[in-house]
Amino acid sequence: MTSLPMLPAIMIDMAGSLVIIILSFLSLRYAWLLLRKQSENFLWGFLFYFCLTLFCFSVSRAVGHLIKQILLILDNREQWQVLAPYSGGFNTLLMISLAAVSIYYHKGIEGYRAIQRKAHSLKEANDQLEISADKLLQLNVDLEDMVERRTKKLSASEKKFRNFFINSKDMVYFCDSTNRLVNMNSAGLEMLGYSMEEEQELKLHDIFCNEEDLENYLETIVAVGFVEDLEVEFLRADGTVIYVLLSATAVFGENREFTGCEGIAKDLTRVRTMMEQLASSEKMASVGQMAAGVAHEINTPLGVILGYSQLMMDDFTPDSEEGQSLIVIERQAKACRKIVADLLKFSRQAESARENILINEVLSDVLAVTEHSLNMDHIHAHRDFSEDLPTVVGDTEKLRQVFVNFINNAHHAMEEEGGGDLFLSSHFEEESNRVVAIIRDTGHGIPEDVIAKIFDPFFTTKSVGKGTGLGLSVSYGIIQEHGGVIEVESPAHGKEGELQGTAFYVKLPVLSGEPVSVNKK
Amino acid sequence: MNAIKNTRKMFPFLLLLMVTVCPGNAWAVQSHGAPEGLYVHQLAHIFYTAALGYLFWGVRQSAFKSQGWRFLQIFCIFMIAWNVVAFTGHFLAPFIDHADYTREAGYLSTHLQGPFTGVKLWYYFTQLDHLFSIPSLFFLYLAMKTIYRSSCEDEKI
Repeated sequence: MTSLPMLPAIMIDMAGSLVIIILSFLSLRYAWLLLRKQSENFLWGFLFYFCLTLFCFSVSRAVGHLIKQILLILDNREQWQVLAPYSGGFNTLLMISLAAVSIYYHKGIEGYRAIQRKAHSLKEANDQLEISADKLLQLNVDLEDMVERRTKKLSASEKKFRNFFINSKDMVYFCDSTNRLVNMNSAGLEMLGYSMEEEQELKLHDIFCNEEDLENYLETIVAVGFVEDLEVEFLRADGTVIYVLLSATAVFGENREFTGCEGIAKDLTRVRTMMEQLASSEKMASVGQMAAGVAHEINTPLGVILGYSQLMMDDFTPDSEEGQSLIVIERQAKACRKIVADLLKFSRQAESARENILINEVLSDVLAVTEHSLNMDHIHAHRDFSEDLPTVVGDTEKLRQVFVNFINNAHHAMEEEGGGDLFLSSHFEEESNRVVAIIRDTGHGIPEDVIAKIFDPFFTTKSVGKGTGLGLSVSYGIIQEHGGVIEVESPAHGKEGELQGTAFYVKLPVLSGEPVSVNKK
Repeated sequence: MNAIKNTRKMFPFLLLLMVTVCPGNAWAVQSHGAPEGLYVHQLAHIFYTAALGYLFWGVRQSAFKSQGWRFLQIFCIFMIAWNVVAFTGHFLAPFIDHADYTREAGYLSTHLQGPFTGVKLWYYFTQLDHLFSIPSLFFLYLAMKTIYRSSCEDEKI
């Protein structure tokens, strides 16, 4: 081999120059796409400027080489010699620029990394902040939910207890440390007869009837912390007394100081009255049974005594000493028999007639018989009978006896006072379907300690010999037999308020249907 | 006092005016001979080679392990090789005489005549420098394309 052809080198140079232009352009394009996507990214910025400078260098060099080859092929060497220094100069300049851009990479990347680290730490801090914010938000949401749930529960509970407070049929009250009633439910106010406006002024002292009960209540509640089933009397607004069963709890403050109390009181007045009536009825029933037994046992020997005394009276003249003694025996025996008969009436062992009776007629008959005697003692009778009263079924004679007993008692009561007024009235009580007869006097009244005993057999306040103590007992038995009741008020109460004297209320039921002619019990 | 201050301020302008109006020989301007262009070009190759080495090292240090950055490192290697070839080509050019070329029918029929020494053979080889520059730019193209696509995929994630 004596020579080497330059043609391959020329061809490679020309083709390679074209390829280099294309490749550098494509590289620049991708670098530009990267930069466009993330213009703030240093790496893409570096790559873009590197590719741009390389593209300029490649184009400069490739174009220079192409021109050179073309000019030399065309045999224009002189022209190329003119252009060659410019081409070389450009190439040198761009190569230096390319080198300058390249050496910025390392320092640039250090800066970029530092910024990235900062950005990363900022991002981490931001992420942490976001997590914290999310947690806080979740916590807030949870808190809101919790508050909502608690509020609902609280509202339901408040509603429940408010309903209990409002709808309770018993008195529920709250009072402060000065014993002022700060809150009382409507049942309590109704029980005491106060209005809502008066509630604010009420104190425990106003409603407790007995000072001792209040002291006991306050001492116990402060010392023990509560009172349980305390039976006390409350004073109503109208002055009447009610019996209540009281339970209360003390309320203490943060420093264990007494701040008030809350309590519940149940009205036992009706129960107590019923219990008293029941006890009285039971007592009367047992007394009646005993009286009936005694009457039966005494009746037989009494008959024998009376029979034999009457037989013996035939043997002696009435003027003789024996005759006089027998007359006394007969009289006392008859008196005893009268008592026995009354006892039997009380215990309802006597026969009774059943007929339709107009109470007004019975009262008029009785008053007609007794009025003269009353007038003698300056007692004036007043009649106030309702017209068109329905009839009651019963024994007229026995009812007359009842009213005579009441009028006699009234007479005795007013006789001691030197006179008075006797009021007889009658009316129909629709709600209980009963006819009511009222006998009221203006006498001295019945003392409170004996009022519960007046219907007991042989109980009397009259002097010895003036009464047997069987009048009201017999009346009680008769009215009970008629299905009625006797109520007594002393002092009496009228429209004008409290009145002097005693009032007896005889309440007899109006029975429908045909009356039974005779009822033997 | 004001007059002195104004004179001091005006001094640079007065000096410039004097130099312009009364010029002399400007010996400070250095003249450049013909070989200087070649030296500058050669120094540029050295500078470029060093910069590429520094870039290669920098990319390696940066711990960018993706395919695109590996292609960029290959680009650096090929470009450094091209610089070596081009530098030696420029260096050896003065050693090739015009008489070493024969041309029978125009430029395309040019031949490098023997006898062939190492210098002549290496010089001939340096004329084929595109064998390094084309792969180099091809790897740059691959690097850019790969980095761009990888960036698009990262964005999708």
